[in-house]
Amino acid sequence: MTALPTISASAIHVAPIRFVDRTLANGLRAILVPDSRVPSVAINVAYRVGGKDDPLGRSGFAHLFEHLMFKGTSSTAPETIDRLTEDVGGFNNAFTSEDITNYYEVVPSNHLERLLWAEADRLASLTVNEANFATERDVVIGEYDQRILAEPYGMLDELVNREAYTLHPYRRGVIGSPAELNAAALEDVVAFHATYYRPDNAVLVVAGDLDVDETSRWIDRYFGSIATPRAPIPRVLVAEPVQTAERTYTHRAANVPLAAAEEAYHIPSASHPDAAALDVLEALLGAGRSSRLYTALIYDKQLATSAWASADLREQPGLFGARVTCARGVALADARAALAVELERVRTEPPSPAELARVQTQIASALVRSRQTASGIALALVHATTERGDPGAVNADLDRYLAVTAGDVMRVAQTYLRAENRTVIEYLPL
Amino acid sequence: MPVAGPPRDALLPAPVERVLDNGLRVVVFELRNLPLIAAQLVIRAGGAAEHEDEAGLSALTAALITQGTTARGATELAAAIDALGARLDAASGYDASVVGVTATTPAFPPAFALLKEVVRQPAFTPREVERVRTKSISDLALTYANPSAVARLTAQRVAYGGAPYGHPLAGTATTLAALGRDRVAWFHERFYRPDDAVLVIGGDISPDDAFALVERELGEWRAGDAAQAARPDGAIPPPRAQVVIVDKPDSGRTALVAGRVTIRRSSPDYYAGTVATAVLSGYSGRLNQEIRVKRGLSYGAGASLGARRLPGLFTASTLVDHARAVEATEVTLATLRSLVDAPATDEDLVKRKATVTGGFFRSIETIDGIAGALSEHVLYDVPLDELSLYARRVQAVDAEAVRAFAARELIEDDFIVLVGDASRFAGELARTHPVRVIPGEQLDLGSPTLGV
Repeated sequence: MTALPTISASAIHVAPIRFVDRTLANGLRAILVPDSRVPSVAINVAYRVGGKDDPLGRSGFAHLFEHLMFKGTSSTAPETIDRLTEDVGGFNNAFTSEDITNYYEVVPSNHLERLLWAEADRLASLTVNEANFATERDVVIGEYDQRILAEPYGMLDELVNREAYTLHPYRRGVIGSPAELNAAALEDVVAFHATYYRPDNAVLVVAGDLDVDETSRWIDRYFGSIATPRAPIPRVLVAEPVQTAERTYTHRAANVPLAAAEEAYHIPSASHPDAAALDVLEALLGAGRSSRLYTALIYDKQLATSAWASADLREQPGLFGARVTCARGVALADARAALAVELERVRTEPPSPAELARVQTQIASALVRSRQTASGIALALVHATTERGDPGAVNADLDRYLAVTAGDVMRVAQTYLRAENRTVIEYLPL
Repeated sequence: MPVAGPPRDALLPAPVERVLDNGLRVVVFELRNLPLIAAQLVIRAGGAAEHEDEAGLSALTAALITQGTTARGATELAAAIDALGARLDAASGYDASVVGVTATTPAFPPAFALLKEVVRQPAFTPREVERVRTKSISDLALTYANPSAVARLTAQRVAYGGAPYGHPLAGTATTLAALGRDRVAWFHERFYRPDDAVLVIGGDISPDDAFALVERELGEWRAGDAAQAARPDGAIPPPRAQVVIVDKPDSGRTALVAGRVTIRRSSPDYYAGTVATAVLSGYSGRLNQEIRVKRGLSYGAGASLGARRLPGLFTASTLVDHARAVEATEVTLATLRSLVDAPATDEDLVKRKATVTGGFFRSIETIDGIAGALSEHVLYDVPLDELSLYARRVQAVDAEAVRAFAARELIEDDFIVLVGDASRFAGELARTHPVRVIPGEQLDLGSPTLGV
């Protein structure tokens, strides 16, 4: 075998993202990143409301809202945002996570003012009525049927959250339950909008071909007059109790082609000092064809068709998942035993310098690639601001990953990847 | 609602070029905003260079080139790329095969050495050949189960027959079964050569450094003994109005493709053609408005114009209920004719042109995107400064240019291909069009006459 060429990730030097960060009198935080290379601009409006904030008995509300936000306002028709983007060479979409609902558009930069107006308009004067509420509720339930019920492993994420958390609302997931959505009334929806869709609960990030002064004036003009309610924004204050014994849950369904399992371990939040080492651990175990799990479970022992790890770092304490899907004819116990060997290895021996260098290089390279587009930069700022409370954190990321030592990786594996700290979901065919 | 301001243009790097002694043309662009460099080696031979009965050879060669070299196996190669945080991939089209690599600045020299290694000493081990060929054949089963994909492939055959671009790029189960290591090695030996290739390289590197790196890694590369292959320039049959129905009673819906062979990418009419296609495409394009929004015939409809060295294919396509296939056919043809009967105005064109330039600008945000655009220009003999002129060329197209282009190139003698349950629509269509029905099980995309 030819010697593997390697580099040190510390040789990768990325210029900081230069941004302007200010908070309007009504509490809206606006972050602008000018870059006029390409006449395109990315607009993100992130509301700090996600699956965990759904009212009790109304799971799926934050996500339902993501749909309702496209149904028009007192001055615009439904799908106005689609027409303002797709018809002029742009696009738009939105996603809901456990912690945020993020709406985004990329448009030619001469359309920036129109989109700022449209985003402010749907924050201030969204139309929610029985008709569009009922329609979108059906759409969301259809999405549940398609993504969660019909997809072979669609229920696995839901089960991981439901079983790993006993008290914290992360246990309800994002998409919610059709029964609870069906039980909701229009008043609930209106109250939800009033509670969370307000300027002081939003982060607006605009990146790309923009003039900072002009854009700031537009933001003041369109967002500045939106009133902030007096009531405080409710926040989730529940702490998940420390887990003291392993839990196992077995799910059987007819549409499961091959047995699978996920081990989910409690980890701290995205702002915790161990977060970077957990990301490195994730990549060591699961990123690419030279990762530990791919090499051992898929390539060498051929016990699995897929094997991955995920440090799901959230605003509040998250989960580290290690997941394996068996190869045909392989017993789940054998695949899990091989997974256990790999997890034991990360707990008991530090990665070699070459392996750590490889993983850091992979992480650094992915970070550099994601900074090529205005939408990638805007999203990085959204996450840093909402999860870590500091947009400037984006400029410390590379150093944060480079500072992780082999000892740190072993230490976080020892600290969090313990049997009594995990929930196992076994996902089996009938 | 505020109004849009005037469209703005991009600040794009000006490419520079040089030809190495071995004939390799090198195009460099410099963009220093991030520590990232990309290179694409464009081999000027793809599907159009393969023999009709070896359909799929260029694709198989490209798929195999990254699956191991004489110095390291497939897994070791993947590990080497991972260790550099790099990406290395290869693919073929009809006019070219492209091998690309992207890496951060410090990782780029060793990553580029890996590109050289796969291009110059691919292993094509029997094990990998067998694996990739088997996978390609099983992927075809998925393609054939999709009526829209079958309609696209059938349309190519109807339009080009036995001329280049007629046969399926991915091959057929029959042609792939006959291709082995020897033929792959032959294609590589014959066509992967410096005197018929272009290397586009750019990003965080100066032109001098880029030329030096390419000279160091690829300067010794020599072409084999065979003469440079002639560009295939088979006679493309003139457009002919005809309806070809592939009978697939078990397909859920009927796929419709109408179109004809039009112009080359290098044609000065390319931009008028692109804007005319944009008038038809997208949610607010005429096809979707007529087919989905006004009549609810389908979830969507659109058009595309193939950019090729020889005249490319224009198509309008949609997917409808079997029972509404006749109506969809008539609406599609009428919508194409509307480009002449009810031409788009200059005002209409403002938004349609924005969809073209907006998509272009988004595509060149990344260095891979810029390298891809330059590769296309190089391949189709378009001047390199076209990159900075693209948006202006699109803006310069006016209503009359679109109408004239449509009248000349889009609305006369269009073929129609329908793939679906023929019993539901073939009889009715035959009353107004010359119709040919091919039973699905007899369809042979490997044959210029579709097996009938």
